[in-house]
Amino acid sequence: MRSSAKTIHICHLFRAIFLAPVLSFSNAAISSAAVDLVAQFEKEVRPLLEESCFKCHGPEKQKGGLRLDRKADVMSGGDSGEPALVPGKSAESQLVARIKSSKSDDVMPPKGERLKPDQIAAIARWIDNGAHWPAPENPDAGTAPKPTAAPATKVITDKDRDFWSFKIPQRSQPVPAAKNAWAKQPLDFFIASALAKSGLAPEPGAAPAVLIRRLTYDLTGLPPTPEEVDTFVQSAARNPQSAIESLVDRLLASPRFGERMASMWLPLARYAEDQAHQVGKDTKFFYPHAYRYRAWVIDAFNRGIPYDQFMKLQLAADRMPGTDPSDLAALGFLGLGPKYYNRGRLDVMADEWEDRVDTVCRTMLGLTVACARCHDHKFDPISMRDYYALAGVFASTAMVNKTPDGKTMKEGTKAAEMDPAVMHIVEDAKPQDLNVFLRGNVDSKGPVVVRRFIEVLDKKDASAFSDGSGRRELAERIASSENPLTARVFVNRVWALLLGKPLVSTPSNFGHSGAMPVNPELLDDLARRFMDGGWSVKALVREIALSATYRQASSCDSGKLARDPDNHLFSRMNRRRLTFEQWRDSVLAHSGRLTESVGGQSADIDAPDNAFRTVYAFVSRLKLSEQLMRFDYPDANVHSEQRSVTTTPMQKLFMLNSPFMLKNAASFAARLQAGATDDAARITNAYRMTLAREPDDAERALAADFLRRPSSSPGMTRWDEYAQILLISNPMLYVD
Amino acid sequence: MLGKMCAGFGLLGLASVAQAAGLSSPRLPHFAPRAKRLVFLFLNGGPSHVDTFDPKPSLAKFEGQQPSGELYRKSKSTGFMPSPFTFSKHGQSGIEVSESLPNLARVIDDCCIIRSMHTDVPNHEPALLAMHTGNLQPIRPSLGSWLLYGLGTENKNLPGYIVLRPSNQIVVGPALWSNSFLPAEYQAASVLTSDMTVEKLIADIRNPLIAHSEQREQLDLLAKLNQRHLAQRAGDPELDGQIRAMETAFQMQREAMQTFDISREPAAVRAQYGETPFARSCLLARRLLEDGVRCVTVYYTATGTQPWDTHSNHNTQHPKLCADADQSAAALIADLKQRGMLDDTLVVMGGEFGRTPYSQTDGKDAKKAGRDHHHTGFSTLLAGGGVRGGLAYGETDEFGMNATVNPVHVHDLHATILHLLGIDHERLTYRYAGRDFRLTDVSGRVVREIIA
Repeated sequence: MRSSAKTIHICHLFRAIFLAPVLSFSNAAISSAAVDLVAQFEKEVRPLLEESCFKCHGPEKQKGGLRLDRKADVMSGGDSGEPALVPGKSAESQLVARIKSSKSDDVMPPKGERLKPDQIAAIARWIDNGAHWPAPENPDAGTAPKPTAAPATKVITDKDRDFWSFKIPQRSQPVPAAKNAWAKQPLDFFIASALAKSGLAPEPGAAPAVLIRRLTYDLTGLPPTPEEVDTFVQSAARNPQSAIESLVDRLLASPRFGERMASMWLPLARYAEDQAHQVGKDTKFFYPHAYRYRAWVIDAFNRGIPYDQFMKLQLAADRMPGTDPSDLAALGFLGLGPKYYNRGRLDVMADEWEDRVDTVCRTMLGLTVACARCHDHKFDPISMRDYYALAGVFASTAMVNKTPDGKTMKEGTKAAEMDPAVMHIVEDAKPQDLNVFLRGNVDSKGPVVVRRFIEVLDKKDASAFSDGSGRRELAERIASSENPLTARVFVNRVWALLLGKPLVSTPSNFGHSGAMPVNPELLDDLARRFMDGGWSVKALVREIALSATYRQASSCDSGKLARDPDNHLFSRMNRRRLTFEQWRDSVLAHSGRLTESVGGQSADIDAPDNAFRTVYAFVSRLKLSEQLMRFDYPDANVHSEQRSVTTTPMQKLFMLNSPFMLKNAASFAARLQAGATDDAARITNAYRMTLAREPDDAERALAADFLRRPSSSPGMTRWDEYAQILLISNPMLYVD
Repeated sequence: MLGKMCAGFGLLGLASVAQAAGLSSPRLPHFAPRAKRLVFLFLNGGPSHVDTFDPKPSLAKFEGQQPSGELYRKSKSTGFMPSPFTFSKHGQSGIEVSESLPNLARVIDDCCIIRSMHTDVPNHEPALLAMHTGNLQPIRPSLGSWLLYGLGTENKNLPGYIVLRPSNQIVVGPALWSNSFLPAEYQAASVLTSDMTVEKLIADIRNPLIAHSEQREQLDLLAKLNQRHLAQRAGDPELDGQIRAMETAFQMQREAMQTFDISREPAAVRAQYGETPFARSCLLARRLLEDGVRCVTVYYTATGTQPWDTHSNHNTQHPKLCADADQSAAALIADLKQRGMLDDTLVVMGGEFGRTPYSQTDGKDAKKAGRDHHHTGFSTLLAGGGVRGGLAYGETDEFGMNATVNPVHVHDLHATILHLLGIDHERLTYRYAGRDFRLTDVSGRVVREIIA
């Protein structure tokens, strides 16, 4: 049963509740061994009794006069008058004799599965250790909290709805004192206000060359060309405000913008093109056309599809009136979900539904709902009913391989035999409401729950879903300005993308166990205006990019560093390391090898010749590219809240020795040599390309000295070596 | 194609680098560990318990009789199939071992055989995942990643968790050694050992185009540029971490080249291990453990994706596999002992499940009979690292069908392994997606009876 009885985890809260009354008895006489025995009972024995015995020998029924949920009743036994167990002597205990019995008219439980040997052993061990049974908190009550027939039923109260992130965000009026000349955008007032309260001043604006490098990386993921830098620096000298506005508008209009945004979105959607399970050479569950979803995401950001629409299409494009067939690819968000081994079996499908609930809720709502598969959420007002109400939507949804004109491929069609227009999407199956699976166990069915939205986020009198699977209704509840979470969660992600740090440091968990926002008024005001302004992603990016907050320099004095060490106040710009995507794309751009085509199929990024942007890498659940793995690309089997960032010598070995690096260093060197006739000019060009600035005298001297030395390695010229150093240097790797 | 050879090495536990990256250094153990490091010799496909460590004379007595009781799937077979091997008592402990394992029999007093292992399902994929990650779906961190997360590593110049696989094809694959939602710092370095040339073992360990001294000059220039950049940025510790990682990488080129080079071993030692891919991997494992690697897994996959999966011709295939694994595993145990390392190195050997005590013929030639997957009772070997040597723990029933006495579930094995390494399996948790996860989920009993 262990595989399916997914009571899961170990919340500290859980332990506190169960162990606290026992620990309070602790004194010199009760050793830690006693505590162990209690823990053993709570963990190994009580759940077993609860699941297998209490239904007939508990508070509701006492078959044979026997009740097993209270110690006194156990000891007095049933109608036979014999105690159900003898502490210390499992061999003499009726309980053990009955669960072990080989006679079918004698064995307990009489119906269903027999207890497993290890379960029987656990009970015997507990009896042999003295059958320690902790005193109940309330001696009158049974020790079993509830009969198992009734599932956990968390009731949502007004107090639950009062948590900050469950209330609809409102506009705020920043204090008038903050309305200073520094502010360039509405958001700046909130930063200025927080800074004023702390007695800190913002940093002055970054130099124009620094700013264009920062903006170009943030909005396109690529470095600016020297010509772009020159143009901007010149026009900024004339009119800084109009220069930066036209720069930001140019970048937002670039097709590179969508690629950059997709790099943020795809790991949230656990985008991948295959499955972690492959039986033999069987690829029938793989997604050879997954790239169509990626192309759609890139295009959607480039087209400026409003974010509410962006989500609705990904959840229910097929159920929305007037959907353009080309937008059906959006359904890859669901349709590229993992398919598990032995799919079709109820317990396996239950695992798949968990993926859909988890991915949708964490990506779009910043809410961890999947915990409620086995028990009510330990921290948030989310019940098992909520979970199964949502899981029912996905249980009523089928994964299909389909063309835009509606041709469906049979499941199991091999990649080579697939119609080239196929997309991996979803469609409605026969609608079904699920039973609550008690303790997550599919064999232990509780009451049926209707498909509907999460109660705490919904109107009090909200109705159940009735349109097919309910995906459209789910999408409408999520992509709604009545939903308190959706806009906050997305605004926070975009903020982090541009400012290098989120306002809520747990971007996919806005619940009680997540972090509180720094500057909550700012988050709410941005979210409110984002919704009121029509959910425009480009407008949101534009406001942040044009803000005085964003324009600050990244350096500050030690006094400020001491007072705002984590930059919670955004009293300066965060210095940021390039993401792997940005760094690799830059190397290709400088070497002149970058392939500039938007959309299209994936290519193996581990091939040294691959010159596509990194967003077009083949992403595998089975075997993630070694390069992606080495540079912290997340596991594509699950939603990735945010990327972990590591600094490892193996990353550096790649930079020093890999065929990819050596090839691109040589190309970069050749390009520099062809671009000018003398080394001084070439060095200048190298700096202008990689760092958007000219070298200073010391840097020129170091370079000249290095290039003058004879090389004893026939495989690399000094120019090759120098070009490589620039591409892997910290100045290139970081954005000020 | 160096890039093909090996996955990224994890962060090498450099305190300053770790801090710069916002990660912390070792904070455990919870209590005094018995073992400092773990080596798992994994016999892919499921070795037969009734032909190795779990003697069942009744199989001969009731040969041909169909098994009764609850079976995973209906037996299409000629019934119970006795082991072709003779079992006899060995060592002071007198544990019965099959004649197919003569070398392990000689070190049996250093070993504890758990004869009562059981797992949840008899299919390779989920059972492999269960044995590696404690979960049937491929979305959880592996045992090695949990260990690295809990204990950190002892050698900054080597990865803390290394997977040695003689072939590229392993059923399930990298999900078996995944760090999953644990930070990338705790990922395994997966090394293909089909070619033991050092440069083939470690990706990008050497620049093929440039002399070491000239690369040093390159790095000297880089260091100057980076230092200037750092000085202008108030000594940002993250930038400093990058500089240190670069230097470590440069040093690693030499150090790793030495550690990974088994040709430095005396001929006599190499001969003890043998000359098969599994043998060479075991020898490399010892060198890695010796140099401070926390966890090494050696996969037995040289002759196929899961060689121990003997559905047919069991009686001819199984002895060959045993002969290979037996010599190398016993050599490893003896070698560790001779170097004084066995006391604090935990050796585990076993597969994802066992094999049916009855034959599998599927209506074909009974002479070519195999054994099917079997998950309700099988054996796993442990040695060293605080384990009671010379102990056979637990029992299956008289046919080897079900673990009956002192059953040990995979979760229990994991709890015990962690315990031996000084970790309370209930307290090694990681908060992810709003809740705490652990290797043993909500289960796991430390099998204290096997601890010395």
